[in-house]
Amino acid sequence: MPEPPRDNGQMFWRIVRRLLGANRGRLFVILLALGAGAAITAALLNLQVDAKRRLTTEFRAFGPNVVIGPRDAVDSDGSPHFLDESMLKQLPDRNEGAPLAYAAYLYGVVDIATPPRERDQRPAKTTSVILAGFFHAPLGLSSVVPAALVDAEEKVRPSNARRCEVGQKVATILELRTGDEIGLTSGKRKDACQVYELSAVGGPEDSQVFLELPAAQALFEQPGRISLIQLRLSGPPQQIQEQVARLEQRLPGVEVRPIRQFTEGEAKIYSRISGLLTATVVTVLLLTSLCVMAAMTNVAMERRNDVGLMKAIGGATRRVLHLFLAEAALLGLAGGLIGAAAGIFLSIWLGKQVFGVAAQPRLIVYPVAVALTMIVAILGAYPLRRLASIRPASVFRGEA
Amino acid sequence: MFLRLVADSFTRRPRRKVLTAAALSLGMAVVTAALSVSLDVGDRLASEFRSLGANLLVTPQADSLPLEIRGVDYRPVNRGAYLPEADLPKLKTIFWHNNIIAFSPTLEVPVESRTPQFSPSSAAFVKPEAHGHEVLIGAWSNHEVRLPDGGSFVTGLKQTSPWWSVAGSWFDDAKAECMVGRNFAKKNAVVIGSPVYLEGRIPGQGLALTVTGVFSSGGAEDDGVVAPLRIVQQYLQKPGQYRKLLVSALTKPEDDFARRDPKTMKSDEFERWSCSPYVSSIAYSLKEVLPGSDVRVIRRVAEGEGSILTRVRALLWVVTFAALLAAALAVGASSAASVIERRTEIGLMKALGAGSGTVGFLLAAEQLLLAFVGGGIGYSLGTILARLVGQRIFGIAPAPSLLVLVAVLALAAGVTLLGSAIPLRRASHYQPAPILRGE
Repeated sequence: MPEPPRDNGQMFWRIVRRLLGANRGRLFVILLALGAGAAITAALLNLQVDAKRRLTTEFRAFGPNVVIGPRDAVDSDGSPHFLDESMLKQLPDRNEGAPLAYAAYLYGVVDIATPPRERDQRPAKTTSVILAGFFHAPLGLSSVVPAALVDAEEKVRPSNARRCEVGQKVATILELRTGDEIGLTSGKRKDACQVYELSAVGGPEDSQVFLELPAAQALFEQPGRISLIQLRLSGPPQQIQEQVARLEQRLPGVEVRPIRQFTEGEAKIYSRISGLLTATVVTVLLLTSLCVMAAMTNVAMERRNDVGLMKAIGGATRRVLHLFLAEAALLGLAGGLIGAAAGIFLSIWLGKQVFGVAAQPRLIVYPVAVALTMIVAILGAYPLRRLASIRPASVFRGEA
Repeated sequence: MFLRLVADSFTRRPRRKVLTAAALSLGMAVVTAALSVSLDVGDRLASEFRSLGANLLVTPQADSLPLEIRGVDYRPVNRGAYLPEADLPKLKTIFWHNNIIAFSPTLEVPVESRTPQFSPSSAAFVKPEAHGHEVLIGAWSNHEVRLPDGGSFVTGLKQTSPWWSVAGSWFDDAKAECMVGRNFAKKNAVVIGSPVYLEGRIPGQGLALTVTGVFSSGGAEDDGVVAPLRIVQQYLQKPGQYRKLLVSALTKPEDDFARRDPKTMKSDEFERWSCSPYVSSIAYSLKEVLPGSDVRVIRRVAEGEGSILTRVRALLWVVTFAALLAAALAVGASSAASVIERRTEIGLMKALGAGSGTVGFLLAAEQLLLAFVGGGIGYSLGTILARLVGQRIFGIAPAPSLLVLVAVLALAAGVTLLGSAIPLRRASHYQPAPILRGE
């Protein structure tokens, strides 16, 4: 077939323009269907990319998932092993774009002396309790120490008296209340502090007493020493394993131990949730495109008369087909652009609803959404191929 | 006449009707699949979270303070309180007994390994010096609990700590066997199948157990040994007693109401609180059946679980909502298109004296018929789809729900009517003459 002359090209676009403008109502309807499809596609793709990343940050709620400690907890004579405090400086500063959250603890046994109280004639007594000296970073918000401890730091105004946070079980058994004074004894060293009662956390922390790390180091005569470090590594399971391996390399001679209860549990939950999300999103996208295709097919079917007329006045089948495919592609482009623009707002809103933070728009998502819509629109016009076999005469006679 | 007109419209141009119905059923299939999965997923995910292990910890109320560092309790054996094992079947009699999916009592004692080891320097087996401060944990591996109602319930560490990985096999609750932790095995050169000798604080009194496996828990247990509860009870001379109980329960994420102190609630509020499977209300009912116990919520597990579950549920509802919106728009658009293309027909009917109301009624009846057929087909398609998705991800297909069917049919009817209402309104302004002339 010879190439169409130039002026025919102009004619081509003129017919397309006319086809589109012929019925405003129908144009609106088909753009609505295509636009809705594109908007949903863009928003869901955006959410899908964002949700998996956010999910791993949500896992922070489970607290620390890696423990760094000495290879052997105790020496052959039963005395505990320690880490050097300088190890904290060797930890990486950042993890997954946020400052690394870690807490350092120094454990030991102290005797708590509670003063006699006249009110209920309670005699003075001493009890042995585990004391944990602790330091955590970053200060303020923290995902590695129980929330009750962070609350205590924020709520209690700094005063001259040394403060110690007392686990709920210790407080109940020793009948201590916030504000009481207690004495701490370890060997020959003595210290005193003002009690702050923690709420129950359901872990070993309930039967411990917490003190600032330097004060505990002085009390136990272990300057510059810590028992263990707990930290929170975030990211997908694969990445956490890599990070643990890197930490092991960086810190020779210590044990870097993932808390498998959380690392494995999280990995399992992560794979389930991301599988669920992918399946739902793929299903929705697939069926949305099928819906759009059905709507497009409906439009294509109406063109029977036009095709008949064009063929009757000498239009080659191929050129007629090109005409309608161009119309479909234009519709797809317009619908896709409108939809993608709406999708930006939709994904911002969805992100706010689910995670409380607007999903970051990812630019790659929008061209993909527009391209998908165009492909779907052209595929929807596919039944027109059957029109190639239409006999103009039978169309004009009004035969179906 | 009315019915004939409707029937005629379906038989005259079947292909077009099939297309509209296809669009409708596809759209409704999306909605059905998304709704069924979302309705079902809450429970499935909640049980998925049990792979994090126990969320409740029971200890004796009268217990003295544990002196526990890295998993080893340094209290003398005669100090502290114990709880009776005989009370445990009662756990499955509480109101929320179906939500209690596993529990395992434990009893711990500090021991040292005295297994003779081969010493290369003297070319002989020597008993090592008492060097380790290790812990022997008595627990159930896979214990059958006889329930008061005659049934039985199999539970143990295997269920409450599913993340433990075991090389070899778990011990048998009835035999003198044990599993050793990874670090313990490395330090003491333990071989699976051979015995270990453990000695407590009293020299000369020991235990010989056959090692069936080496486990890795990632916790303090890795430095110790786990053996059947009964054997540790005998060794400690505390038959039928335990010190710690881990309970794994399916719960509903806590909200502000759940966190209130039950003592301050009015009676109707208390009823509502105890009839919701909040972790705190399950803890409350456990305390009632286990006298002398102190039941604590393991906040770290329970709260992390709650916040993630809430987020994921919201996420799924949002995706469902998006699916609904897309399907509704596409279906509405295709039904609008099907009305627009019938301009000529509408013009003819009006020319023959039909009022706008009659025409609208006729078209609406047609659309409704389509909606019910398309909706029905879509529901069955969607149910199959939901089964596939559910089976693939959770291994269990969601049960088909009548509620979803009703919702889907109502949505299909609503959307088609709404989609055709706008072009119909415009159709009522049509002048028959120009339409019939083909203008």
